[in-house]
Amino acid sequence: MFMIRPLILGWLFAMAFAAGASAQDLGRADLVARLCGNAAATGDAGSRILAGAGQPDAAELPWMETVISALLDRRLKCAADPAQSVVEGDGAVRSAVTLEPASVPDLSKVPVLNLRSRAILELAQSALRLRIGATPTIRRQALAALGRKAASVPVEVFEQAAAGESDAGLKAEIESTAQISALNSPDISKRISAVERLASTPNRRVQTQIAALQADPAYTSDETFRLTVDAALARVGQGILIGDVLSTLYNGLSFASILFMAAIGLSVIFGLMGVINLAQGELIMIGAYVTWLTQEALKSIAPGIADYYLLIAVVPAFLVTAGIGVLLEAAILRHLYKRPLMSLLATWAISLFLINLVRVTFGTQNLQFLTPFYITGGVPVVGDFIVTWNRLFAIAFAAITLALTWLVVNRTGLGLNIRAVTQNRDMAGCIGIPTRKIDMMAFGLGSGLAGLAGLSLSPIYNVNPQMGGNFIIDSFMVVVLGGVGTIGGTLVAALGVGQINVLIEPLWGAVAAKVIVLFLIIAFLQWRPEGLFTAKGRRR
Amino acid sequence: MTRFSRRSFLKSTAGAAAAAGLTNLAAPALITSARAAGTVKLGCLFSSSGTMANIEGRLNHVVRMAADEINAAGGVNGSTIEVVTSDPASDWPLYAQIGRQMLQQEKVSALFGCWTSVSRKSVLPVVEQADGLLFYPLHFEGDENSKNVVYVNSPPASSVLPAVDYLMSDEGVTAKRFFMLGSDYVWPRTINKQLKGYFTSKGIPETAWKEEYVPLGFSNFQTLVNQIRAFADEPGGQPVVILTTVGSSIPDFFREFINQGIKATDVPVLGLDVVEADLEGLDTAPLVGHLNCWAYLQKAAGPANEKFLKDWAGYVDAKKVPFKADVVIDPMVSAYDSVHLWALAANKAGSFEVPQVRSAFDGITFDCPSGYKLKMTAENNYVYRGVFIGSVNEAQGFDILWQSEDTPKPIPFSQY
Repeated sequence: MFMIRPLILGWLFAMAFAAGASAQDLGRADLVARLCGNAAATGDAGSRILAGAGQPDAAELPWMETVISALLDRRLKCAADPAQSVVEGDGAVRSAVTLEPASVPDLSKVPVLNLRSRAILELAQSALRLRIGATPTIRRQALAALGRKAASVPVEVFEQAAAGESDAGLKAEIESTAQISALNSPDISKRISAVERLASTPNRRVQTQIAALQADPAYTSDETFRLTVDAALARVGQGILIGDVLSTLYNGLSFASILFMAAIGLSVIFGLMGVINLAQGELIMIGAYVTWLTQEALKSIAPGIADYYLLIAVVPAFLVTAGIGVLLEAAILRHLYKRPLMSLLATWAISLFLINLVRVTFGTQNLQFLTPFYITGGVPVVGDFIVTWNRLFAIAFAAITLALTWLVVNRTGLGLNIRAVTQNRDMAGCIGIPTRKIDMMAFGLGSGLAGLAGLSLSPIYNVNPQMGGNFIIDSFMVVVLGGVGTIGGTLVAALGVGQINVLIEPLWGAVAAKVIVLFLIIAFLQWRPEGLFTAKGRRR
Repeated sequence: MTRFSRRSFLKSTAGAAAAAGLTNLAAPALITSARAAGTVKLGCLFSSSGTMANIEGRLNHVVRMAADEINAAGGVNGSTIEVVTSDPASDWPLYAQIGRQMLQQEKVSALFGCWTSVSRKSVLPVVEQADGLLFYPLHFEGDENSKNVVYVNSPPASSVLPAVDYLMSDEGVTAKRFFMLGSDYVWPRTINKQLKGYFTSKGIPETAWKEEYVPLGFSNFQTLVNQIRAFADEPGGQPVVILTTVGSSIPDFFREFINQGIKATDVPVLGLDVVEADLEGLDTAPLVGHLNCWAYLQKAAGPANEKFLKDWAGYVDAKKVPFKADVVIDPMVSAYDSVHLWALAANKAGSFEVPQVRSAFDGITFDCPSGYKLKMTAENNYVYRGVFIGSVNEAQGFDILWQSEDTPKPIPFSQY
């Protein structure tokens, strides 16, 4: 039976082993004791496991993987005696040393990892998974994680993994990644291939790594090496530039999609009836709450498809907010059309009422949304450009909404009537269009679009009763700039404001960006008071 | 049918703005008011609407809970405490206005309130003029020492600097480069000014840090996270982010940080205003390892904390408080401490008059739920507090990574 070593002794012991000491040099119990020990001991154990992952003998690797995965996920419960420490998981409790069934000791603690130990342990975990992962998918993910820090992974890990790899494609990938760890090897030809391999995925991290080589003695002494490094830097620089341009466009498009979604409903309402609907932001908020309710309902009725709540909630989010819109129009706004200031105040009162109604019903805390797999994370494309799925979702959603709204307004009878009333209300009334009913339908359409905005924004923003206030100013800006009542105008204005914002932000900061955009809009409206586009027709 | 021309639209929006101004004048209605004599009144200045509502709102309930606790034990100087709450709506000048009303009309004996420094700065002249007493429960930028404000939480020297030291140490991440991102107002700007002074004193060159500010309530962090990635990939050593955004900007920032795939082991974030409540609604698994620093964390060991957590859960349950029963954050505990410190001082002074209460502060101690014994001295109105560094865990909470051995002496004015 091992006793835990006093901390100081353990630390000195750790120091006595120089780099290269591997986990196999220690017994299992000793390794568990270190993983459960203080920060220095845990870090030392992590380095040993990383070195151990490069040993030819794979017998101990599955055990190591189990224990450090448990430690990282806080499933490792440490006791004073390492033999009594246990690993929880898969509904079972097992001894951390033997992996035999055991019981949780009375006095146990879950170690808190500091960042340094966590980084080493995550690297070690990936190294172990690369060697013993059950499926090629797991091994490929592990390789991707290792690839980002390939220079700090012992080259033996890649060599052993490649030797034992059965999937030919993956084997080639491992060998290719392994080249990177040879960046500082004494063999100059290996270094050159490492530089070339690095330059094939251009980003700023790689640029820093390669640029550091310009201070290397080989850079001055070896002609081929110097040329390779210079060519690689040029190639990386170009990749970064392309990435930056794409990323600016993408960020602008993403911001534009948010602005567009927030503004499109308002554009319909403001354009048609001239009602300044200050409750539009709150309709967005209600759309987000309906999305949340749909998610909760799915969780209890059909947990299997709960991940798809964002798609399923499209119908309820639209219908509920459209219903509220129709109700508001029929009950309140209808009577105030001739008094614009009153309708403005009334919608403002409605917005306060809705905020407080939601606050009383749900509380002020942020709602907790599931993050479905299809909007989690992102994928690096070129240079430092990452396509993030939640933004892409918002962009795609905005594009579909745009298409559908355009179809409704330009290709349906309702749309024809809406356009007729927008252009000349009295004339439309004279030829028998029921203008009052059209008003109601249009208000419902505009409100429903706000509900959809709430849905598409819920993966990006915090959902709480106050969220609507964020959007109202921006959306008015877009509607007024675009020209009242034109879908195209709203789209172009959203794209313009989004892109300009994103261009200014890195140069002068987010505060200045807001101010400058506002000034640009004011200046533009001085020159063209009717906005970018105006609906043709006889207006006052 | 009336249609808006752009001119009339602008007019009516101006009308709306004016109307918004009018509600400020209508503030008396916002104060939920009062009862008869035999009681002593305490006033709360915490918003339950606007950008700060989610985190500030719960402090009203904590003050009530502490008052109930003291009342149950016999009150103060034979009087029962009555708590007067209000809603300054995250509108900074409104804090001053309601504060003045509370002091002059409601005749409260002490005010408990403010989260952001800008709201404290707006109340400051009011309490100084009326010689009132404001208990301020947030850690803040320091550089202020009013006899009318009790600074219950820590100035930077005993909160931010220990955390930055930790990050720069070998036990932390040996941080060499700093991206300071904050909301654009006095707290982040002063903290960053002091940090820059501190970095200079440590011999860190000016090229090793970068400073960015966003408007309050800002939510679109895409380009800023891009900038952080670019900064992190430059040479020069381990980068960290020092985050001083407040309110809803915190979860919005973290969401973008996750989606761009940055892990705490690549670029750790030290969130100076990040509390458990900011993580509600986020999947924290990809955030594990990010840091914060406060004078209390929910995981603090000791019987005082166990009792506090149990009391709060019971209070939420009994009073149907619309906040989570199992989430307790530092400002809640500090607000709770504030009421007790006031009661201890008032008892010691045998009076509710501000000058007497103030002179009674010297030497009072209180067993804070954090496990430390709070202490006040005659030197100033600062409180001796412990320091915790927390690390985000999967359960939307913070594990204690480091805590100070005792309560360091609070230093109001920074030397940097």
